[in-house]
Amino acid sequence: MALKLLSDAEKVFILHGVKDDFRCDGRTRQEYRPIEVETEIVSNASGSARVRLANTDILVGVKTEIDTPSPTKPNEGKLEFFVDCSANATPAFEGRGGEELATEISNTLSKAYLCETVFDLQSLCILPGQQCWKLYVDILILECGGNLFDGVSLAVKSAIYNTKVPRIASATIDGGVVDLQLSDDPYDFQTLDVSSAPVLVTLTKIGERCVVDPTAEEEACSLVSVVLAVTEKGRCVTTLVRGEGSLHEDTLIDMLKVGTSLGIEMNKALKAALKLEQSKGENKERFGFLK
Amino acid sequence: MIFCLTKSSVFIMGSSNLSCVPGQRLCLADDTHISGCGTYERQGYIYSTLAGEARVVEKDKSYVVEVHSSNEQSIVPTPGDIVTAMVMMVNPRFCKCMIKCIGDVVLTRPYRAILRREDVRAFEKDLIEMYQCFRPADIILARVVSFLKTIVNYYLQGINLPTTDLHSYQLSTAENELGVVIAHSEAGVAMVPISWTEMQCPKTYNKEPRKVAKVVPESIPVDNANME
Amino acid sequence: MFAMPVDTKRIQGPEVSVPYDQFLAQQSQQSNEEAIGKERIDGRKSDELREIFLKTAVLSQAKGSAYIEMNNTKVICSVFDPREIPRKSEFSVNGELFCEFKYAPFSCRRKRGHQQDSEEKEMSAYLKRALEPAVCRHEFPNLQVDVYALVLENDGSALAAAITCAGLALADASIPMFDLVVAVQMGISITGKKFLDPTLEEEAYCFTLSGSDEKGSFGRVTAAFLPSLEQFSQVVQDGSMVTETYVEVLKELAHASKDAYRLSQECLLKAVQTSKEIKNAEQKN
Repeated sequence: MALKLLSDAEKVFILHGVKDDFRCDGRTRQEYRPIEVETEIVSNASGSARVRLANTDILVGVKTEIDTPSPTKPNEGKLEFFVDCSANATPAFEGRGGEELATEISNTLSKAYLCETVFDLQSLCILPGQQCWKLYVDILILECGGNLFDGVSLAVKSAIYNTKVPRIASATIDGGVVDLQLSDDPYDFQTLDVSSAPVLVTLTKIGERCVVDPTAEEEACSLVSVVLAVTEKGRCVTTLVRGEGSLHEDTLIDMLKVGTSLGIEMNKALKAALKLEQSKGENKERFGFLK
Repeated sequence: MIFCLTKSSVFIMGSSNLSCVPGQRLCLADDTHISGCGTYERQGYIYSTLAGEARVVEKDKSYVVEVHSSNEQSIVPTPGDIVTAMVMMVNPRFCKCMIKCIGDVVLTRPYRAILRREDVRAFEKDLIEMYQCFRPADIILARVVSFLKTIVNYYLQGINLPTTDLHSYQLSTAENELGVVIAHSEAGVAMVPISWTEMQCPKTYNKEPRKVAKVVPESIPVDNANME
Repeated sequence: MFAMPVDTKRIQGPEVSVPYDQFLAQQSQQSNEEAIGKERIDGRKSDELREIFLKTAVLSQAKGSAYIEMNNTKVICSVFDPREIPRKSEFSVNGELFCEFKYAPFSCRRKRGHQQDSEEKEMSAYLKRALEPAVCRHEFPNLQVDVYALVLENDGSALAAAITCAGLALADASIPMFDLVVAVQMGISITGKKFLDPTLEEEAYCFTLSGSDEKGSFGRVTAAFLPSLEQFSQVVQDGSMVTETYVEVLKELAHASKDAYRLSQECLLKAVQTSKEIKNAEQKN
């Protein structure tokens, strides 16, 4: 993430704070910073969402296109992730600097969402073996204030929740060529079920303890962190180990337990927030980038 | 097979050396036992970092535990080493070289190095003209200067370092024994050194300026009758 | 999911070519699955590793190299001397590891491309992460060590084999390391059966849900260890797992790696002995 230069005294200060369960901004080790989620930000996308985690800002847009399914999986649609670490986020991302991080994030998301029980790709199928929906999920990192993985996963889940896939009115096959007719009614769409989609939880090891939702300064103090993809039911779908250090067995197991319990709560909170937003209907107050 | 050396067995010097693998605990680290090359210390014990033989060397009333591997450990230029380099490019401010050997060891991969104008000679540093000291394809003997020292010197002098300089080694020939050892004249023949600052081609008898190293020649044919 | 990169340097075969095995009758695959469900095809117990064959110094041109064979999974790994980092302008206090993981085109059921595709790039990143904590990077500042792992035949646990092999190759190349690296893989099927060191068929079996209840865990975990430091250096997990099952799997993997570690140690010690004998013989002459 963003490289912060910290003096040794600052690092020791952060370390002691973490040990006493009282971090620099007053949070406990397992507390998140305030998170804001807003959907339907971009009108041209089929679904969009924006997440602000303190000063981390992420915008996700989902576009739906029609594509042929892969020959090995004729009944399933496709889902493709692309992460763009723009230079706006932090000067370290200038040119190709953010490429490695972007590949890491998109690979983790792909692994998490392409697990069979997580996201029903069969709902994206139109005609088995011939036509299916392909969702292009594009993630833009506008500002980097630490804890990118968590913010990105929240934004992606919200954007897919918000995605409106047009309904197929009719389909005709004329000599092997498929002709699809989409419904004209803009309010006639199908939504996607994200109830078992995972949320990424990053646990950063600082000193002897692990901390959730680290700020950029706290990230600079840690040697190793573990990213877990946790579903609503508390299952771990994928794991990613980051950093340059190694983990003792007990630390890793502890991190798994803490991560799973936090993941369950995060999923619940996000679901409640999205439902609340949706209940306000079409005439809800839109904030966008002005607030 | 014995995988762990206890403290007492370290004293058995006459027996065959212990073969070890990376991460193997060798002995307790205390005042008498110090970790040498190929080992590291952690939580009060000395561990090996290489696959090879563990040896105990007595030094100043303490024992230094070392591990040597059969494969030579890759050698890296360290400050103070004498290296053999070939000059690649000459510039009025510096010349770029490729380090071919460190001491007696020939390297499989060359390292890039820079020889600055100020480091060519110890006296009259400002009167140096690089092209009169080195030419491309010369083989030189030089000493590696430490990285940090040069960076600090530059900042003290208020000079902005171009970033590409920081990842090549800094060399210095500011000693009598350092400088050009082998050079070819414009005719393509190996030249003979005739003074501190000149070398002569034995074919065309042209003299060319170089910063010559005071190396005792093993066998250089000196044709006294034709020398001017 | 993983796209083939465009290879502009070779003459490609016809553009539209499809692997033939999707046209094969489905029945033979199903009967295999039932057989695996009862007991493992090669007769191992659920917590038994395959027989491992290890050898170092197999390549003459590389500084260090190693070869591992776990029944049908074969991986060869080579390590080269530290060299300057090609495109870098800043001085780095620690050295770097450059890892490349590649499946040979004939190694898997489906033909692989000649260039690294995105799956292999991901595996290279996992391999690098598994080896980094073990190498003393402060001993070669501003330089990079190249590690190349090539899977000659993939019959499951390719990543775990590659990590163990790369750890041995690094030790053979006399790159200073804090500890040897050993990796083991385990697969869990939704029926609750665990497979330590799964073959390719067992791995595929772990990912078939076949309509069973969704309360169980399934998936595959690869863990890389630093045995004498008792630390994990890498964990790669796929599939959906309940925390308790995940914790159990990690503990079993930690236990199983001790066997692989013992073999790596013996292999290296044997290599040290033989080189000592060669040196003694040379000195006598």
